[in-house]
Amino acid sequence: MSADHKEHPTPKKYVQIAIVLGVLTALEVTLYYIEDLVGSFTDPLLIFLAVGKYIIVVGWFMHLRFENKMVNRFFAGGMILALVLFTIVMLERGMANFFFN
Amino acid sequence: MSGGHDYPHEPTGVETRKLGMWVFLSTEILFFGTLITTFLLFKGRDFPGIKLTDVYDIPFTSISSFILLMSSLTMVLAHNALENEDQEKTRVWLLATAMLGAIFLAGQIYEFTEFYHKGFELSTNIFSSTFYVLTGFHGLHVFIGVVFLIGLWAIGQRQQGLSLDGGMNLEFIALYWHFVDIVWIVLFTVVYLI
Repeated sequence: MSADHKEHPTPKKYVQIAIVLGVLTALEVTLYYIEDLVGSFTDPLLIFLAVGKYIIVVGWFMHLRFENKMVNRFFAGGMILALVLFTIVMLERGMANFFFN
Repeated sequence: MSGGHDYPHEPTGVETRKLGMWVFLSTEILFFGTLITTFLLFKGRDFPGIKLTDVYDIPFTSISSFILLMSSLTMVLAHNALENEDQEKTRVWLLATAMLGAIFLAGQIYEFTEFYHKGFELSTNIFSSTFYVLTGFHGLHVFIGVVFLIGLWAIGQRQQGLSLDGGMNLEFIALYWHFVDIVWIVLFTVVYLI
């Protein structure tokens, strides 16, 4: 085992992180049920919570925040390409709706 | 992290196999990105047949999501135990992860069966097709992960211990498992809650 592994979180820290993830999930479900109260903020808040959970799992459980920058770039590359694809498709859909409807 | 996980003998500074695993996960992001985009193209449009919102069971899916999240905890605890050379705990946490994954899968099969009985089938409309393809491929990934986990646990039992060196080791399977979890984090929000 290399010395750098000492910098990984302890089991106690992992449990604390899991509790945070559980609380965030509970918040998501609560938001779903009180959508009428929260109104148009519901969807942005749900996306914000999901991104938060995503970052926590990738950073702490997958140890990406402890990894070499090369690994970070490759992983970010995949996400950026997926977002570009999503944006292009949605723009195309928007333009198609504008011109053909 | 300063100097953490650096491999000076590798041209990239990262263990080649590990870099390969991350590149694979990166391509998987694109794969699921494509499926999610297709799903969102049709979400919210009117199609003939029963709607997904009519057959949802959010409390049930929330519990499934929580179970999969907790399987990431048991996975990381297995990894941690192996780093500390505690073989017994490693096997216990590996088995726990596989069991939680299997429970999630059982839940998904139950959910799909319920949807079918209520008339929301694969061929009901194009939206239902995108739903089943998206969530079905995620389920397939969970299934493959469970097979890997049980295989690793069996190797650990047979060889009286696992190692972090050589072969398709626990660290790579852990990365794969956490990836399956983050995909579900996105799907739970995009497919069920929004």
